[in-house]
Amino acid sequence: MKTTKQNVSFEQHLQQQIHKLPNERMPERDLWRGVELGLEASESGSKPVGTVRSSWFAIAASIAFLVSVSWLGVNQLATEKGLDGNALVQSLSSQHEAQKQALLVQYDGQAALTENWQQQLSELDAAAEAIKSALAQDPNNTALLRMLQNVYQQQITLIERVHAPKWQQI
Amino acid sequence: MEKSQGTVVNAQDAFCHAREMAVIQAASQGDKYAYHQLYEQHVGRVYALCYRLTGERAMAEDATQEVFIQLWRKLSNYNGQSKFSTWLHSVTANVTVSYIRKQRGWLKRMFQVDESLAEQPAELSADTVDLESYIVRLPERARMVFVLHAIEGYRHEDIAVMLGMATGSSKAQFHRAKQLLKEWMGYEDN
Repeated sequence: MKTTKQNVSFEQHLQQQIHKLPNERMPERDLWRGVELGLEASESGSKPVGTVRSSWFAIAASIAFLVSVSWLGVNQLATEKGLDGNALVQSLSSQHEAQKQALLVQYDGQAALTENWQQQLSELDAAAEAIKSALAQDPNNTALLRMLQNVYQQQITLIERVHAPKWQQI
Repeated sequence: MEKSQGTVVNAQDAFCHAREMAVIQAASQGDKYAYHQLYEQHVGRVYALCYRLTGERAMAEDATQEVFIQLWRKLSNYNGQSKFSTWLHSVTANVTVSYIRKQRGWLKRMFQVDESLAEQPAELSADTVDLESYIVRLPERARMVFVLHAIEGYRHEDIAVMLGMATGSSKAQFHRAKQLLKEWMGYEDN
């Protein structure tokens, strides 16, 4: 009997506590800047580059997976060796630059599917720079770090897709 | 007199609704100033839900940003048939749940962290903390189910789909959450 009473009073108490919960809670820092950068990054990467076969998407997905794995590795490294945000940005940027240059050399002289791909690449560069500037102020902001990684990934995908061989075009 | 007061209130509601719809429409057409207004108006509610679902300040901040980044693309899907805040709440819950799953690794959380947290004894006194403090200490799956069912009013069937679990598991996690809360609040177990 005592247990039943206690249960009732717990249920009532819980309901009262739930009703008392505030509808709003303000974040401790301004999140708008990160949102704005995210919107800019997604807009720069949303331009269609051309239709490709599904096999090409599979290749892109594999690349994305590898980058994700390496990104997880970077996270792990940061945890184990105590790397701060600045060091992570530097490491990520230098790895990306090396990968990008290797691809550009590989496709040098090969016709691209779109004429304005270099302009799109520059726009993504500008987005990456804007994110890096924000990271300089807030080096440990994981949302910004992920945005930077996402922009870098979009650059790699762009270079790969516009240089797809003719037989892969529809 | 009461009738005229009611009319004034209705007119005010209608005006607020019309103004909100105008802001939403402008934002959905790419007006970032309007979108910032929407952000300012709703960030408190979005963050509150993200915080309860993630149980962590930093992750809640990231999830809130993710919600508003995705909302920008989803705004055109809002058809005005329900209240915008209700629709936004649903978008927030879905985006945050998938964000948590993506960020932490569902299996890892399920088999390691989730169980270990459940074993931790409560360190907080029932007299000095509110329910919010207990909720964020719940194991992840129990917390998400509790927040979605007890606070947000989702059915277990819907929660099961959102979290990729069986309906029975959702009910079991809810029971688990309540048992832990009961214990932490100083109630005797039966």
